[in-house]
Amino acid sequence: MAQHLVKVSITYCSECGYEPQTLALAEALMKTCGRELSEIELIPWDEGSFDVTVDGELVHSMYREGSFPAHETVIAAVRRHRGEG
Amino acid sequence: MAVSRERFEQGMTYEQYKEQMTRNQERFAANERELMLAPADLAAFQSLPRPLHVLVIAEDWCGDVIDNLPILGRIAQESGKLDLRVFLRDQNLDLIDQYLKEGQFRSIPVFVFFDDAFNEIGRFIERTEVVTERRAQARRELYAQHPEFGSPETPISQLPEDVRVKLMEELAAQRNTTRAADSQETVRALREIVSGVPA
Repeated sequence: MAQHLVKVSITYCSECGYEPQTLALAEALMKTCGRELSEIELIPWDEGSFDVTVDGELVHSMYREGSFPAHETVIAAVRRHRGEG
Repeated sequence: MAVSRERFEQGMTYEQYKEQMTRNQERFAANERELMLAPADLAAFQSLPRPLHVLVIAEDWCGDVIDNLPILGRIAQESGKLDLRVFLRDQNLDLIDQYLKEGQFRSIPVFVFFDDAFNEIGRFIERTEVVTERRAQARRELYAQHPEFGSPETPISQLPEDVRVKLMEELAAQRNTTRAADSQETVRALREIVSGVPA
């Protein structure tokens, strides 16, 4: 199966001070997925958001889940999308 | 675990909190200055038989703190009946973890009203349901008026950058439009808390 590089976008509420959680997730992705990624996009937003998309699929939503994502969940989504490439 | 007088008195005064703010001071001051406090609302606090202690948990980056803490501050200053002590959320997890929204979220601001024996009278967390629903309704209407924003469920990261900027501006304008009504709703909620204080 062909594999491709995966794009992750993290939309975080800058007004809420979610920078530490954003950077922690980005660091975990860099260390764990490294060259499996094409890009990690960080989008400052507001409204209490902390949303993560992997190749456009919303894999975590603060509004939907009511919490921050487990890093393992996002990493698993990256691996799944890479396999689907 | 309850809040003792000793723990309460470790907090900052309202003035000390404002002095240590590192951002959003102008928005905070404007909200404090522009609040329209009706005489009947103020009288509800002025007529309290004894001053109340109000534990406040806040952070200066939080929009709901910037919206609501100046309201409590104005009422405290003008009524002379509320003794505020402010604690920073992230340095006082022992306190915030006693007042989680829906039992799980460290939402702020938190205002907890105590009598002189430190029995809790009531609490206000983040914002009222009325304000939350008003914002949600306004958001639905905004998306209906602007098909380019997609649906409210569309991930922000899927919007082109120019559309994102426009959406951010529209949301900010919307909050400015409803600010006065939102403030009055907060005053109503705070007044309701103290209405249960026995004469």
